[in-house]
Amino acid sequence: MIKIENVSKTYKNGTHALSNISLEIKDGEFVYIIGPTGSGKSTLIKLLNGEEVPNSGTVLVNDINVGKLRHSKVPVYRRNIGVVFQDYRLLPRKTVFENVAYAMEVVDAPRDTLRKRVREVLKLVDVADKSNVFPAELSGGQQQRVAIARAIANKPSILIADEPTGNLDPKKSDEIIRLLEKINQEEKTTILIVTHDIEIVRHHPKRTIAIDSGHITADLAGGGSI
Amino acid sequence: MFRRLGRHIKEGFLGVGRHFGMALSSSTAVAITLTLIGVFMVLTYNLVLTTNTIESSISLSALIDYDSEDQVNLQRIEGKIKEVNGVSSVTYHSKEDEFDFYVNSNTDPELQEFYEAYRDENPFRDAYIITISDGTMLQEVTRQVEAIPGVYQVYDGGANTYKLVDVLENIRLFGGILVVALAALAIYLVYNTIHITIDNRKDEIWIMRNVGAKNGYVRAPFLVEGIIIGLFGSIVPILIIGGLYYYLYNALQGTLFGTFALAAPFPFLYYLAAVLAGTGILVGFIGSYISVCKYLRIRR
Ligand SMILES: Nc1ncnc2c1ncn2[C@@H]1O[C@H](COP(=O)(O)OP(=O)(O)OP(=O)(O)O)[C@@H](O)[C@H]1O
Ligand SMILES: [Mg+2]
Repeated sequence: MIKIENVSKTYKNGTHALSNISLEIKDGEFVYIIGPTGSGKSTLIKLLNGEEVPNSGTVLVNDINVGKLRHSKVPVYRRNIGVVFQDYRLLPRKTVFENVAYAMEVVDAPRDTLRKRVREVLKLVDVADKSNVFPAELSGGQQQRVAIARAIANKPSILIADEPTGNLDPKKSDEIIRLLEKINQEEKTTILIVTHDIEIVRHHPKRTIAIDSGHITADLAGGGSI
Repeated sequence: MFRRLGRHIKEGFLGVGRHFGMALSSSTAVAITLTLIGVFMVLTYNLVLTTNTIESSISLSALIDYDSEDQVNLQRIEGKIKEVNGVSSVTYHSKEDEFDFYVNSNTDPELQEFYEAYRDENPFRDAYIITISDGTMLQEVTRQVEAIPGVYQVYDGGANTYKLVDVLENIRLFGGILVVALAALAIYLVYNTIHITIDNRKDEIWIMRNVGAKNGYVRAPFLVEGIIIGLFGSIVPILIIGGLYYYLYNALQGTLFGTFALAAPFPFLYYLAAVLAGTGILVGFIGSYISVCKYLRIRR
């Protein structure tokens, strides 16, 4: 469960990215976060995965106060949160299989568990046939699937996607969202999607939180009338 | 655990391979530094050897004052001198011994005969010849022995003795400072190389950290890379200095200017190799450690 209470974030250069935000997201929810550019969406994600700390207020994730987390505890905390970005961020010199395996090697997963899980998630995101291919040989949609596979390999309880469809055409975008819905159902993962793409929200209506200039301006169950 | 260690070592070598030019130039820098350190070690070691010989041969003579003390108390005076910190040996010389010594130190038989005539009016005093364990304690020992009742005066060979001790001290100090400065320079160069390696692998580090790799895990390949650079940089200096010293020692037959004995090549060269390799590893480790910690500290 995510519980954000009266959180404000001002960057060192004086930019007020978030002002007194409060919100709650339950386990297994599927939530969109929308808002214009510069409204503070990515900042919210950075507060959730511990990359940034709030100036005031508390960010609680599964009862862990993320902002107060000791520097050395952040890595282990982060294993519980998968993050996916618009630009995929795969390692170009590693194959699809190795890219996903990498996330599990890093956390010292036993070899057998690792092989089994990597095959499983590659199948789940539907790129099992591309296991031994390098990222450059894949389409954008396929690369994003691999990135999603990597993000869920360690079975995080929360998957955050920052503009996951930003570089994809509508058809591919639709497929990615459907994949995330599948993960939400099959793996019981809480899903947070940051997006500009209103079409997506229309076609897959879910709880939608709107942010503008660092304030929450709407929080609508089922997508509402956006 | 071992699989993981193997992975880090492999990554370290891969890192060196990826930035071979950079790695080679910082290895060269480490090599130059270690060569200088090595040369200094050879000089310092041999110097310390001679210094210690010279220092241990520095002696004082404490003259006995018969106006205030009876001969019966000689035992007590000797005991007191031995108690002084820094005194390594005390030997009694009667004034007859001193006179003989003085006469015999002249090789001219005519002069010897001339002096012999004065044996009855012997101007020397009974004395204790004191050798000291450490040249730097010369002044302190002199002061303390002079304070013992019954000691008339202490001779220490005068200002020249102090000067010699001072010069030797300074050489050791200067050598130490230079070695530290050179090591700092080498650390800086390794630091720079690793800094660039890190920069080139920023994406990978970012991914590692995003999927929850602990800091130690992120650090390891870079530390290995630094160690490889340092160790690699120590090979050439070890071979050059070792070979050269061995050659020179044999060519000079173990002495310099016919007076200073050189340290035997073995086991000295083994120590030298160990110290240089160790310093190389340490320099590589410290350089990369600072680099990687700096990077990790600014990012949460
Ligand atoms: N590291 C940073 N240092 C200073 N200011 C920052 C930093 N990151 C973001 N900002 C500023 O904070 C505000 C919110 O940025 P944020 O990235 O959260 O917006 P966003 O909603 O994700 O925008 P976009 O839709 O363009 O991705 C912006 O004004 C941005 O310029
Ligand atoms: Mg953003």
